[in-house]
Amino acid sequence: MSSTTTNKRSHAADKPAKQVHSDRVKAERRLGWYLAGPAFVVMLAVTLYPILQAFVESLFSLRLTAPDQSEFIWFANYITVLTDVVWWRDLGVTLLITVITVTVELVLGFALALVMHKAIKSLRGLLRTAILVPYGIITVVSAYAWFYAFDINSGYINSWFSWLPFISPDLNWFADTWTALFVIMASEIWKTTPFISLLLLAGLAQVPGELTEAAEVDGATWWERMRRVVIPNMKAAIMVAVLFRALDAFRIFDNVFIMTNGEQGTEVLSLLAYRTSITRLEIGLGSAISVLLFICVLLIAFAAIKLFKVDLSGTTGDK
Amino acid sequence: MRSSTRKEKIWWAIISVLVLIYALFPVASIFATSFKTPSDLTSGKFLPTNWTGENYEQILVGSAQDLFLPALRNSIGITVIATFIAVVLATLCAYAIARLNFPGKKLILTTALAVSIFPVISIVTPLFNLWRNIGLYDTWPGLIIPYLSLTLPISIWTLAAFFRQIPWELEQAAQVDGATSWQAFRKAIVPLAAPGVFTTAIIAFFIAWNDFVYGISLTSTEAARPVPAALAFFTGASQFQSPTGAISAAAIIVTIPIVLLVLFFQRQIVSGLTQGAVKG
Amino acid sequence: MSTQIGKGPRAHSRGRRLAATIGSLVISATLLTGCGPERSAPTLTWYINPDAGGQAELAKRCTEAANGDYFIETSLLPRDAAAQREQLARRLAAGDNSLDIMSIDPPFIPELSLFLEPVPEDVAERTTENTLEGALAGAMWQDELVTVPFWANTQILWYRESVAEAANLDMSQPVTWDQIMEAAENQNKDLGVQGGAAESMTVWVNALIESAGGEILRNPGAPADQLELGLTSEAGRETARIIGTIGDKGLGGPGLATSNENDSLTGFQTDDGSFMVNYPFVWPALNAAVEAGTLEQSVLDDVGWALYPRVSEDQPTAPPLGGINLGVGAESDHPELAYDAIECIVQPEYQTYYFLTNGNPPSNSEAYEDPRIEEEFPMASTIRESLELAAPRPQTEYYNEISSGIQQEWSPPASVEPNVTPEESEEFILAVLRGEKLL
Repeated sequence: MSSTTTNKRSHAADKPAKQVHSDRVKAERRLGWYLAGPAFVVMLAVTLYPILQAFVESLFSLRLTAPDQSEFIWFANYITVLTDVVWWRDLGVTLLITVITVTVELVLGFALALVMHKAIKSLRGLLRTAILVPYGIITVVSAYAWFYAFDINSGYINSWFSWLPFISPDLNWFADTWTALFVIMASEIWKTTPFISLLLLAGLAQVPGELTEAAEVDGATWWERMRRVVIPNMKAAIMVAVLFRALDAFRIFDNVFIMTNGEQGTEVLSLLAYRTSITRLEIGLGSAISVLLFICVLLIAFAAIKLFKVDLSGTTGDK
Repeated sequence: MRSSTRKEKIWWAIISVLVLIYALFPVASIFATSFKTPSDLTSGKFLPTNWTGENYEQILVGSAQDLFLPALRNSIGITVIATFIAVVLATLCAYAIARLNFPGKKLILTTALAVSIFPVISIVTPLFNLWRNIGLYDTWPGLIIPYLSLTLPISIWTLAAFFRQIPWELEQAAQVDGATSWQAFRKAIVPLAAPGVFTTAIIAFFIAWNDFVYGISLTSTEAARPVPAALAFFTGASQFQSPTGAISAAAIIVTIPIVLLVLFFQRQIVSGLTQGAVKG
Repeated sequence: MSTQIGKGPRAHSRGRRLAATIGSLVISATLLTGCGPERSAPTLTWYINPDAGGQAELAKRCTEAANGDYFIETSLLPRDAAAQREQLARRLAAGDNSLDIMSIDPPFIPELSLFLEPVPEDVAERTTENTLEGALAGAMWQDELVTVPFWANTQILWYRESVAEAANLDMSQPVTWDQIMEAAENQNKDLGVQGGAAESMTVWVNALIESAGGEILRNPGAPADQLELGLTSEAGRETARIIGTIGDKGLGGPGLATSNENDSLTGFQTDDGSFMVNYPFVWPALNAAVEAGTLEQSVLDDVGWALYPRVSEDQPTAPPLGGINLGVGAESDHPELAYDAIECIVQPEYQTYYFLTNGNPPSNSEAYEDPRIEEEFPMASTIRESLELAAPRPQTEYYNEISSGIQQEWSPPASVEPNVTPEESEEFILAVLRGEKLL
């Protein structure tokens, strides 16, 4: 997109005298910041300021219900967090959820994008509408829907699928790490696949039709056309979709909070931060976790941009 | 598009059914649950044995109305205001980015991107602490302001993409034809820009409507608690009874606006979300 | 907001219209909250835990009784006890002056007591004259009454008479955990216990360890880094043996690892039901199910009750203690009025009313004298006796840490080992309290 930022009016502005030109440029610059400034300031105010405050608070031992015992302790909170197996376990769970959900979503989302892309006209509206429902639905609602379906008391999944060898009416999905994570991930995948498929749909539209047609004429199979022509041409879109979803999945909170509240080894980093600072009211320790979580997100974004050369300048942004 | 053969039509029918099941099954599931009686919940069946409206009655006119109705009001009010502010600010910002030449454009777009990947939970603690000091804790503005961190970035990106496609020359052409600059703007530009602004508003609405983390962390009473947070607070007939039916009914009610928006504006939403990448 | 979209006259008027729409939306919203400006008397806000509408009704009655001196408004807290504490602690720490009256679960009282207005001596005297012993203990912190007891909860043993009979158990005599476990195992039935990682897990552990002659916390009131736990003890191991066996042998049914009070009740109503430890809400719930036609009358007729089981034959039972006490926030603008309102709320007559309509047992022994109580709750005398014997959970400002630590280490029950779990959980909790570990 940034390639198209050339200002159309600048052609008209080339003509007048230099003096007028620079005045106009100045005025335009000022107007630009007047218009864009408020949004820019608001964005910084609601993120930069709090994260700086979190950093300051993370250097204190501070419990909200014992405010007079506050003490400056340098980086002791960070040492506590980083030497605790809980942090690393939660990081592992979070990364696992991120990798699995994004992988599944990429495949599923690609299939959905193809369906939307190729759909015959009469079906296109219906399919798009259906696919947008999970996109728009509240994550908490999705979490409850999946939770109630699988719950040993109110669910029906056990009785529907009891013919499968590993499912019995007595299977308590939320009593075991892996089965609980399965349902959590299913809900997450269901809710966010439409987003990835829309980004991929945009990518599909970028693939020059002549190329696929030429490949078809050459006798390439469907699979070959996908692998040789379509996917390479969509690489940028795929990378962007994966990066955004990965960063989003890394922040997973709602589904875990509703379904297990982090029990049975399903705790994720966001929930650890929440429980420490909001539930235990250990502001200092909780802020340290928050700052570390922020650094993790930065590292992932940085690594993706540097290693995979994801070009972010061509995207719409997050969902 | 070439006319499809009979075989293709059957394939499309199958695919459509699969997609519909995928997209709508969880919604249908909680819909069915919302019509179950308390004792029917453990039946192990998908559909209720006897359909009952008592769960809806409970949250709309019954014992849970004091919990649900204020939350619904908060959700609507806060989301609409947050969406409105975000769209106004983003429109100005995106207009400047698309049309004016000024240094720092890239900085603004990068900032928006950085804010959109920001882990929300990281700023909840400091915001909570700040809010309680300045009295914004558990108020509407206390949620509207952080919601801007969710809605502004995507609004800016989506609108910037929209505005770049608008043939601004039309404005000049209209002016040449004798229209005042305002008329030119209104006649030539507004009709082209309005759909983009509207689409952006829908997308921003979805995002603010979805929030849970801010909702549970920065509120504590019905003064500002939005629906997703309130759902986690529902209660059954007594302290220890599970509110499954009431939660399901409330979940369905807050899903209705989503379904309506999607139903009427699917084309705009899809184009809004894919816009930037298409043009990129 | 309206000023931000001024691109021209037309846009301006449109902006104004939009602003007006939003303005009226906001106004109608504030109107809907219901507090009209005509009230000049102070409004007291009462933060209530969810119930079946009883507290709201009492608020109304006491507002009427106040004759215009004050109005009581209720504001709802979340469902589970830990979340209620979270909300209250956050508001109290925020110095919120709207916290006039709060419904507080006893274990969280020590932590919140720092932010509570002391109970005036005369109020304390009048409101605790006939308070049942267990309930009174739960309202105190460091030998001072810091809250006023409102209602008291306790778990009793609910059982299916047919199952007890088949096991040859004389239910008029105290029963032990081993007896009911054996009965359930022999008859292939499920025990109703709460094995999920929630507050109910701590409730269970505390009741067992107290009944085995031990305690979770040895020195209540000590600072965080000097607290001594009693989990690594004979009583702790005995507790772990019972919970671990129920988990290992699957005696708690398939849902044990996530079960709460409601799940236990659900299981109890099925053919697999046998014995269940649970609160008195069970009785109205069972009756309602019969009325709704979803439960056979014969099942209800088969239900019996007794005191909470013992750990060993020769040591008394120590049933769980719950309930709600009323506290006044230190920052409240009207502490005297708030205590006035509390005196109205906790009067025996209203406690009786609350029990009859909401199923929550009175903390005042006088309130049990109403004949309607025996009619509605045939097990009222058992409940009352249980409340006299009940053992409070550890009283400390760090209750949340101790309880969460127990929940994490003792759930799921199948993972509990007598020689490992008590010691591990003790070390874990102590490390958390010293600030060395995350919870």
